[in-house]
Amino acid sequence: MKLSARQTLTGAAAVMLLSAAACSSSGSTPSSAGSAGSSSFGVNATGTVQFWARTVSKTLAQKLVSEFNATHKNLQVKLTLTSINDDVTSLATSIRAGNPPDVVGLNDIDTPTFTRENAFMNLTPYIDKLPFKSDLSPGHMGLATYNGQEYGVPYWADLSVLWYNKTLFKEAGLNPDNPPTTYAQILSDAQAINKLGHGVSGFTFAGDCQGCLGFTVQPGIWADGSYLTSGGIGSQTASITNNQPLVQALTLYRQIWTQHLVPDNDRTDSGATWGEDFAAGKIGIMPGGYGQVVDLVKPSQLGTEFMDTQLPGSNGGYSTFDGGDDFVIPTAAKNASGAWEFIQWVLQTQQQVQYPALGATPIRTDVLTPTFSATNPEDAVALKALAKGYAPVTLVYDQMFNQASGPWFQMFSTAVYDGNMSLAVQQGQSGLTRLLQQAS
Amino acid sequence: MTPPGNVLSRPRAARGGVRTGRRLGSWGTRVLGRGLGARRSRTGMLLVTPAVAMVGLFVLFPLGFAVYISLTDWPLIGPYHFIGGQNYSLLVHDPQFIHSVLFTLLYTAIVTGPILLVGYGMAVLVRSGRFGSVFFRTAFFLPFIVGLATESFMALLELQPDSGAADYVLSKIGLAHANTAWTVDYGLALTAICVFVIWFASGLTMMLLMAGMQGIPVELYEAAEVDGASWWQKEWRVTLPLLRRNIALALIISVIGSFLAFNQFYILTEGGPGTSTQPVVMWIYEEAFVQYHLGYATAGAITLVVVIGIISAVQFFLLRDSDSGRSRGDRRPVRRPVRRPVRGTRR
Repeated sequence: MKLSARQTLTGAAAVMLLSAAACSSSGSTPSSAGSAGSSSFGVNATGTVQFWARTVSKTLAQKLVSEFNATHKNLQVKLTLTSINDDVTSLATSIRAGNPPDVVGLNDIDTPTFTRENAFMNLTPYIDKLPFKSDLSPGHMGLATYNGQEYGVPYWADLSVLWYNKTLFKEAGLNPDNPPTTYAQILSDAQAINKLGHGVSGFTFAGDCQGCLGFTVQPGIWADGSYLTSGGIGSQTASITNNQPLVQALTLYRQIWTQHLVPDNDRTDSGATWGEDFAAGKIGIMPGGYGQVVDLVKPSQLGTEFMDTQLPGSNGGYSTFDGGDDFVIPTAAKNASGAWEFIQWVLQTQQQVQYPALGATPIRTDVLTPTFSATNPEDAVALKALAKGYAPVTLVYDQMFNQASGPWFQMFSTAVYDGNMSLAVQQGQSGLTRLLQQAS
Repeated sequence: MTPPGNVLSRPRAARGGVRTGRRLGSWGTRVLGRGLGARRSRTGMLLVTPAVAMVGLFVLFPLGFAVYISLTDWPLIGPYHFIGGQNYSLLVHDPQFIHSVLFTLLYTAIVTGPILLVGYGMAVLVRSGRFGSVFFRTAFFLPFIVGLATESFMALLELQPDSGAADYVLSKIGLAHANTAWTVDYGLALTAICVFVIWFASGLTMMLLMAGMQGIPVELYEAAEVDGASWWQKEWRVTLPLLRRNIALALIISVIGSFLAFNQFYILTEGGPGTSTQPVVMWIYEEAFVQYHLGYATAGAITLVVVIGIISAVQFFLLRDSDSGRSRGDRRPVRRPVRRPVRGTRR
């Protein structure tokens, strides 16, 4: 017998005489008009919209909600912040209980897990009407698309870039206006800065943080036109064997490690202290997130002491990990029209240009104007990379890339720390294949 | 039906009657006793009903529901199917689950003894009312109060190569290199976590044993001294036998805590390198909240509950008092040490 989890939960609740409590309202007030499919959907909606956002976007979400509520007297957004560790299970639980929020800022790599179960509203007809549709972050949109239909739109971007210390570049005799654009330049610049001594290292990475490494190492591989998986969900295969760009990326990190161009404690950095040594002025080059460094340094240091550039491939080109969140509307949302009105408002240029000051990167490439670049030179670097951004579309991203026991980190450790590239490639190919087969 | 004889004239009625002050015959006594007993039973039932309801609502029902989930392929979201015992049969053939169980057993075996010994030693040091004992009791118990998660984060920083206190101190005395990476090597990580947990958990054992030690009548030690017992003999022949129940409690708490270990491994090693330091609770967490195999993870959790129950039962059996196995009908006198009011802590 095939049962839905919701049916079972409801039955169990009835047995316990708690069905009334279980079915209580989430606090959403339905819009008086604008049902899905109607022309008035997302226009002049009323009531309350329940908005769940991850704590990682707290500053941005609070600012947006505050401004929206101040300008929309008939439609109010109520913000709930969810932990970055259990936001997925919280959302799944609310959907199972039939009482989800109206709009969710969901980590974009988690979106495919829900879209294949039809948990989110199909927004394709509404997204098609957006005049800036072609300017929306391609990586975010790729993750929100399933079977040709779009179930979400980008909310904010968390992009990986290459940060460098202009002061140390000068001290090492390097041109701070000419940051590295190839692996060879990264290595030579790091070597030059490392020679400064006095506790200064040429490079840094979070060597025990699987997610950090996936966030910063993969874009170089993508910049070279290669990917670690191929095919669509359900028929994906691993592309590790004979992947020369992957080998080149791992070789770069192996050289950096064996030449002691990084602090010793990078090996055990699980991400908890990632970037603190860079912010302290002890590191020459650090691949990391735009918002990560903005949060760690004083605003006056940006552009003067610290600057960023795109993450390069082995011989030029660049890419970025298109991280951040997608806006999604659960199928059972009570005020979907209000949610879409809020989403459309957030996507407007007037709101998008505020993102840099709130530690985030906009998700529309057309926001990158000369004025924007002059005002936000560091975020302009990230935003420029957005057009070439990518994020793997798979149901098993966490298992592959974010776990200590996952094949990505096993491959990285074997190649970089142990120096056995052929074994690393074997481990990567077999590990990714196993997980992709399980998910298909 | 007429009661046999004159019930009021039977002297036995007064002896056997219930506490009504009335002289009743045996039949009357039985009838009245049964009535009162039934009333008492009903009252008792009423009084315990709220507790039973709460246990049923918050323990038995969730446990039963968890058992049901473990018999399905319950995903994060979407429909599920009843698959019977398939999850359990997969468990016993899952090398990662078996590894995590074996690792948990190894970890438990390593830390349980030292926690008891260190806790006992600390209890001996602080059980008297000597000057400074209150300070040391507080100091020894403080790690347990602060909490494992907070201290795990502190340990993570102090175990960093080149910057942590552990490497600094150990390199100064020649026991480790200044760049030792404790958390990314299986042997080093296990050693560091075991030492850390022994430091953390010994305080609780100390409190449990100290409470027992302070309840032992001082006269027993005085009598032992009169008989010429040495300090060791007093500990071995007086303290340890009378601490049997406290030791049993401390051991059971320690073993259950070790089986449920999660925070220290999650924060310090994330189960790595690879999955070499992954205890069984972390395996359950990974299966449930990373792999989203909720049915399979629940089967692992139910198995863990059963295993802990069995081990606790075995511990209770092995560490029971020799007189605790007596049946309720056994009215033979029990020879216990006389417990008089303690005039103060000994020595």
